[in-house]
Order: sequence, then structure tokens, then C-alpha cells
Amino acid sequence: MSQATTVAPASPIAGVGRLLRSPLTARIASYLFLLVAWQLLSLYEDRFPPPADVFGFLWIEVTGGSHGGIVRGEFLEHFAATLPRFTLGIAISMVLGIVSGVVIGGSKIAEALLKDTLLMLVALPAIIWAFLTQMWLGLGDTAVVITTFLSAFPFVAVNVVQGIQAVPRDLRRMSGAFHVSSYRRVRHLLLPAVTGYLFAGFRFAVIIGWNAVLLGEWFSSSEGVGYQARYWYDANRYKGFVAWVILFIGFIVLIDRVALVPLQRRAFRWRDTQVKQAQRRVEGIDVAVTGA
Amino acid sequence: MATLRVEHLNKTFPAIERGSDATTAIDDLSFEIGGHVFVSVVGPSGCGKSTLLNIVSGIETATHGSVSVSEDGSPARLGYVFQEPRLLPWRTVMQNMLYVLEGEDVPDRARDYLRMVGLDDAGGKFPAQLSGGMQQRVGIARAFAVEPDLLLMDEPFSHLDAITARSLREQLQGIWTEAKKTVLFVTHDIAEAVQLSNRVLILAPGGRLFADLPIELPYPRKASDTEVAMAQAELLRRFEEMQEETDAARATDVAS
Repeated sequence: MSQATTVAPASPIAGVGRLLRSPLTARIASYLFLLVAWQLLSLYEDRFPPPADVFGFLWIEVTGGSHGGIVRGEFLEHFAATLPRFTLGIAISMVLGIVSGVVIGGSKIAEALLKDTLLMLVALPAIIWAFLTQMWLGLGDTAVVITTFLSAFPFVAVNVVQGIQAVPRDLRRMSGAFHVSSYRRVRHLLLPAVTGYLFAGFRFAVIIGWNAVLLGEWFSSSEGVGYQARYWYDANRYKGFVAWVILFIGFIVLIDRVALVPLQRRAFRWRDTQVKQAQRRVEGIDVAVTGA
Repeated sequence: MATLRVEHLNKTFPAIERGSDATTAIDDLSFEIGGHVFVSVVGPSGCGKSTLLNIVSGIETATHGSVSVSEDGSPARLGYVFQEPRLLPWRTVMQNMLYVLEGEDVPDRARDYLRMVGLDDAGGKFPAQLSGGMQQRVGIARAFAVEPDLLLMDEPFSHLDAITARSLREQLQGIWTEAKKTVLFVTHDIAEAVQLSNRVLILAPGGRLFADLPIELPYPRKASDTEVAMAQAELLRRFEEMQEETDAARATDVAS
């Protein structure tokens, strides 16, 4: 018996239904929900500034306008002070994190010696480093950079250790059987196998490091994003404080979406192909089941 | 073509837990192969077949005895086809081929052997985009592309469906005839051993050599050929003999 397949024409109602169920709509809805909840909270609590006030303040900060003729918006200056400290702290964390991760992951003795120390460092909150570096080094850039480095570094190292230890044994033995050179093994086996873990470590480092830079500047600096948040907090201007916190969060979300996610997508092209292939197979089964 | 010489080989794995015994995987095994031959090693699970290949390839070391692979007196080049394809998932098929190859004509050689296994167009694809049978064919092409003096194959079709395995067995005979390599092939499938090999070594449990039998039939062979079926019956008879002997020895051990 022959099988006839009919395809229904796309109706406008079905199109609207699909749009409502899309991930983009869900994301927009979550932002709207937060805004509404925030607005409602501000109606009942004076110390919770309404969104309009905060975004008005933000606008003045970003455009360099004036807050009632007293203080000028200084967004660019303070971000320009924070970014080099953050970048340097993260760069040192990455280099030392990768080196120590390779050593600990590749040697049983190094693992026995250092892994517990590394786990202790992971458990230590950034605020402790912010206090300690201010006690050791006083005010200035160095304390902030060191705080950022010490907070982010263990996350990179722990992920690299896991990555090194997860290199498939079968592929290592295959490389041994074909006498593949050490250079090729590092380039084509070790690095790609570790890339996923390295990305996870890098994302953690960026997020933890950004928090650490805020804390470092809160305690040890007279300029920067963290210092500004503290300035408005000390001045009892809640909308200023919340505005700088929003700038702080917005920056990290932007970095994640604009730089980290596309980079990760590119590095995992091979894995995405695998997922797409599996999806196609599942769709194939669906079609077969529907047609049966 | 290479000469493989195995002399009084012994491999014992230490006890995993305190109180348990060490396991002898290979016991006083000696044989020699060389020239354009296809030698299969058959035997029940755990009789040391894969361990033998791992020692020959240098992945594992022997407890006693010696293994030497030489090509006119100089060290021989080895190729290895594993039970699973063992391809780097993050590299394309062509990059997987190049990973193990050395020399100037490498890309051409890789393309030639991919063509030989019928995968000329697959060079730019990732392993996940290929079926299991195609991935195994890449594994075979990779091992042949090394242009080895001795090719080791460890149950390369055991994870494939029957139809794909049958087609690959026929293809392998063609490639072997054309490339004129020395092949040491491990399998637990007697029919497969008879169809492919011109010599079969039967290993008994504990890694002891039980029989060394020639299969003198012309190539190409099909699983359905009458002569192949008769040779299979003969090999099966020897296999059953080996099992009876093993069971009798075990019974004597228990009684004493």
C-alpha cells in the first residue's frame, strides 16, 4: 500500500505560536519579568531605587553628563582604569594555570604534592585575597592585579588538570602504536582534548576575576569600576551604586556573548557536527515513525 | 616484507587485589612469520591474542622471552588496526591520516589509501559524520598508508554489523593482495580467520600455542565458498579438540 504524505500550509496562528515558544521570546520575557519585579519592589521599599532612576543615572554616567552639577559621569575613565588590571590578572592566571595544570595533571607525584593546595585555593573567596593584598601591598594597581590573579588562577589550573587526565587512553595507545612524535601528540591529541576544559577554566577565570577586580578596587584603589561602586555606596546614593553594579554585570554578559561563546563554538565545530548528526538521525526516526 | 620472530614469549599481569593470583596471558609462545602472508591468531576470549599484538607493537612489554620484527635486518615499520577506529574526533579524516604519516608524499599517499577503501570524498569530514563502517575503513586506510612492513589487526570487524563486516572482509582481501603486506590478524571468529588467512595459529587459554595450520585456498575467497566451508569445519574440529583438552586439564587440576 502506498503512503501519501500531506504537508499542511503554514497558518499565521501557527507562526505566532512558534514565535511565542522560541528561546528569544523566553529570554526577553525573563528580562521583562525582572524589570516588573524590580519596579514593584521599589514601590514598597524606599531604599530600592526604581529602574527609571537607575537607568537615568546610568545614562548620565555613560554619556559623561552631570549629576546635579556636582559630579560628572566618569564611565570611560573608570573602565579604562579597570580593564588593564583585569586583563593582566587574567593573562597571568591563564599562563600559570595552564603550566601548573599540565604539571599536576601529567605527574602523579606533582598531583600528590599540589592538588590539595589547589583545591584549598579554589575554596578561598576573592574577598579574602582583597583584604590580604591590601594588607600586604597597600593601595595601588599591584594589589588589584594580584587579587584578580589569585582568585582566577586555581579555576584555570583545576580545569587543565581534569583535561589532561581525561585524554582518552585509547587515542594515547594508538599514537604510541604508530610512533607519533611528541610535538604532534601535544598539538593534535593533548591540546584539542584539553580545549573544552580550558574554555571552562577561562570562562570561570573571567567571571571570578571580574568579581575579584571589583573587590580589589573597592579596598585598594582610588579609581576603577570597583572604586566607583564603593564611592556611591559610601555616599548613600543607592541608585549610583546599583547603576555601577549593572554596568559591572552588563560588561561580563557582553564579554561572554560577544567573545567567549563564538570562540567556544569555533573550537567545538567537530562536536557540534556530532550533535547535528545525532539530531538528524533522531529527526529521521521521527519522520519514519510519523510516516509509518 | 617483514619477519616477525616470537621466542618463548611470556606475559604475566600482576594480581590486582591482595590475595588474588597473577594472571598468565601468554605462556611460552614461539612462532615465526614472514613474507606476503596473512596469519590469523584465533582463540577463546582472554587467551592473550590482543596482548600479543600489543607486545609486538611495543605498547606493552613482555615478562620473559623476545619479540623481534625486522625488515632485511633493519627495524620494521608497523601499522595497527584496532577493534574500534580510534580516530581523533576533533580532526578531519585527512588530518587523522596525516597524524600518523611521515615523509614528503604524505598527502598523496593518504588520498591513495582513502581511495583504496572507497572514501575518496571523505577527507574533509569529521569522524562523527561517517558511519561506523566508514570510520573503520579510515582506520584500515590509515594503517595501510603507513606502508608498514608488518600490519597488525585486532578484531577490526567485531564491532560492525554483519553486512558491513562481510563487505569489508572482501575489500581487505583485495587491498592485501595489492599492497603485498605481512599481516598478523587477531580474531575469535573462525569463519573470518578461514576466509582471510593462509595460516592460522590457535591459542589455548593461558596463551599457549595449540596448533599452527595452513589454509591453502586461492584468493579472493567468499564466506559461501564450499572449500572455505570445509576448511572452517576442519578448523572448528581442531578448536573443539583444544577445548576438550583444556577442560580435561582443568578437571585433573581440580582433582589433584
